[in-house]
Amino acid sequence: MQEFLQLVLSGIASGGIFASLALALVLIYNAMGLVNFAQGEMAMFAAFIAYALIEHGMSYWIALPLTLAIAFAGGVAIQRLVIRPVERAPVLTLVIITLGLATLFNGLAGFLFGYVPRSFPSPFSVQTANLLGAFISYQDLGVIAVSAIVLLLVYLLLQRTTLGLSMRAASHNPDASRLLGVRVSWMLALGWGLASLVGALSGIMVAPVLLLEPNMMQTIIIYAFAAAVLGGIESPLGAVVGGLIVGVTVNLAGAYLVGGDLQLAVAFLIIVMVLIVKPNGLFGRPSVRRV
Amino acid sequence: MQLLEMTEVRAGYGPTQVLHGVSLAIAEGEIVSLLGANGAGKTTTLRTICGGVRWDGSIKLLGRSLHRMSTEDIVRAGVAHVPEGRGILTDLTVDENLRLGDHLRRDRDQVRKDYGRVFEYFPVLRERQHLSASTLSGGEQQMLALGRALLMRPRLMLLDEPSLGLAPLVVKSIFEIIRDINRIDHVGVLLVEQNARIAMDLSTHSYVLEVGRVAVTGLSSELKNNDAVRRSYLGY
Amino acid sequence: MVSRLRSAPPRYWLIAALALVLAGLPFIVTSFESSEWTLVLIFTIAIMGLNILVGYSGQISLGHGAFMALGAYTTAILVSRYHMSYLVTIPIAGVVSGAVGFLLGIPALRLSALYLALATFALAVVTPSLIKRPDKLTGGVQGILMTPPDPPQYAKDAFATLTNGPQMSSEQWLYYVSLFTGAVLFWVAWNMIRHRPGRAMRAIRDGEVAAAASGINVAGYKTLAFGMSAFYAGVAGSLYGLSTGYVSPDTFPVALSFQILVGAVVGGLGSIVGPMVGGAFVYWLPIVSSQTISAQDWIPSQISSVFVKAGPAVTYGALLIVIMIFAPNGIVGLAAAAYRALRSRLRGSGEISTGQLPPDPHTV
Repeated sequence: MQEFLQLVLSGIASGGIFASLALALVLIYNAMGLVNFAQGEMAMFAAFIAYALIEHGMSYWIALPLTLAIAFAGGVAIQRLVIRPVERAPVLTLVIITLGLATLFNGLAGFLFGYVPRSFPSPFSVQTANLLGAFISYQDLGVIAVSAIVLLLVYLLLQRTTLGLSMRAASHNPDASRLLGVRVSWMLALGWGLASLVGALSGIMVAPVLLLEPNMMQTIIIYAFAAAVLGGIESPLGAVVGGLIVGVTVNLAGAYLVGGDLQLAVAFLIIVMVLIVKPNGLFGRPSVRRV
Repeated sequence: MQLLEMTEVRAGYGPTQVLHGVSLAIAEGEIVSLLGANGAGKTTTLRTICGGVRWDGSIKLLGRSLHRMSTEDIVRAGVAHVPEGRGILTDLTVDENLRLGDHLRRDRDQVRKDYGRVFEYFPVLRERQHLSASTLSGGEQQMLALGRALLMRPRLMLLDEPSLGLAPLVVKSIFEIIRDINRIDHVGVLLVEQNARIAMDLSTHSYVLEVGRVAVTGLSSELKNNDAVRRSYLGY
Repeated sequence: MVSRLRSAPPRYWLIAALALVLAGLPFIVTSFESSEWTLVLIFTIAIMGLNILVGYSGQISLGHGAFMALGAYTTAILVSRYHMSYLVTIPIAGVVSGAVGFLLGIPALRLSALYLALATFALAVVTPSLIKRPDKLTGGVQGILMTPPDPPQYAKDAFATLTNGPQMSSEQWLYYVSLFTGAVLFWVAWNMIRHRPGRAMRAIRDGEVAAAASGINVAGYKTLAFGMSAFYAGVAGSLYGLSTGYVSPDTFPVALSFQILVGAVVGGLGSIVGPMVGGAFVYWLPIVSSQTISAQDWIPSQISSVFVKAGPAVTYGALLIVIMIFAPNGIVGLAAAAYRALRSRLRGSGEISTGQLPPDPHTV
């Protein structure tokens, strides 16, 4: 029972990481109907930026928000420079462009920082606390807390501010939004910035656990896909709930059912099953097929 | 200086030209109706004013040329367009739709008063404030669109077929509210309507489009009583 | 016969010339270079398969590396554990992959383009771990070694006679095996495209609902496309294993699936010659990019040194983005457009101008 609780708790912590990256995917999907296959690599790159800042003497708690800000700016820049010229291109072209971006970031990280895994400093100690009889590390608690705070702030931004309202309007119905004076193009760029920020958070949170190296996020992105698909690719809330479910399920399955090396296969199975049985996920809206 | 002045405007979609030299003018605070059969170019005219279609010629809003301006900038210059289909964001709530109407305004006190007016005109919007806009009926969506347009405090309102699909009583009350808004807020209105009769009742001037050109124009009161015009162009 | 030859479109001549060049290649280049071209041919076969899926039936797959892995491991297991003749295993590998592809094509019917991309991407990422698990069969992390096949005696002798030199090497033999396989598969694909299945698939690609409304068995053709493309990838994987002599989970990373897709797109989706162009591009780019970029004088040395040191990935990614933005129809598309422009320039505008306004980017 104790082991079960521990698995659940650490599953919630990984779930927080998956949720952040999944939220990034959902934000971009809402903005453009596109799954950004580069999201994981962008997050990894942001983690490297944070690492570089910390190595140069900056405190973690300053490097973190600064990196998030840089990631935000980077996301806006990518949308303006790379995505906007091909906004109306078919899905396949956009998918390939994001794959190109993924390759680019991976190569750039490898070039700038090398492929040797590094340990990423974490402000949370690795000691464990005793919670309800189960041991959960301060690291995991810290991840849960930070993820929760940032996700809450994003929620407040999107749901409670006028800017967030304009961003949501621009992604749901760009034509109608233009007629209301919303600068749709900039709202899409901000959407990318926000997604990049949230993705960067997941990269920074996972780096202390996984060891920082360019291929770090390649499996995490699959878990994030599973979370986003499970929650409903259009639903930010779904991304968070999906992330938690995937985190816990994969942990439990890895321990009790299939073994740690097939955890990724479990995520794959979740993706496939959801897409076949209920493609809109838990919180998605059923969409009408336009002819 | 006119509120809106269109001179010899040609416009079209890709290789198809729809407007072949349309000229019209709206004075400040005036209601003008744009009539004609389906396909005559009425909706295209409204879209052209808002920059949604590539055009040639001259369009001026209060003396300022709208050439090469983006839709959002034209809207910010004081034009509110309620398109065919109403442009309601169905993924958002009624309240959020309304807030998108006033999101550019700074005068919060006046905005609050305007909300009061909107809810007075359309009580159903207050009742359904926090519900998704998709739960509204056609008539209620038209009310939402109009209320939102009111909140935009535009200089010029472009209304595309506000009566479409609505019951006669609803149409009547909506048109009275349009008349009210025009009178109180001194908002100019360009009204596109298939229902020529109520449009001409409401407006001071009318333009009748035929195949992308202005076929007839004049005082609504005169055109209304002109049998020949009514029969050839307006079908009744 | 002569009149048919004369009226054949230029494209036929191009293909015939290409076939001639390819057949004679091992006589001109070294054995090692032949093995490089073998890999180009292998990529071409895989890309041909993906082209059928993406370019003709309009479905996306980011996971064809998985089918290559399936084909490669089928061959490796049959040859090393069951001592089958390697030539026989090539079509078997294709059939196994094709069957799995066909079966996967059935649930894939329910997925929209984006979700299919997502699911196949996940498949590609998961494949190495799926291979490692049944390690009794697959050799786990260590993989399976195979000895490079020896050419049959008649081939060795013929080659020695024709070149007045050494006997045919294993690499050259594999080159010819791949060339022959590729030619057969090309012929199959070409015929399919020209006749009803190709037309049906193109109709599906251009508009599924309309295609269904005209009575085309959309589900049937889509799963057929999936199965066929997997068959091709399986064959390519089998040849890949034979020519490298080694299969392991790490030889089939995500990047491989990505490379196949890139090759298909860059070559030009839905084109006949595209796959070969794409295959060459995908094989040579990583090798050539660093060399050519540093040779460009007009790029400041700081920037070009970044590209060189960063390795192919950065160049690859950047180039891909640039190509997608400026030439989404791939190299073949560009070439075709250039050819058309050149021809109309040379022949004079024989076409009557239709007086159409150019498409308008501002339309709502």
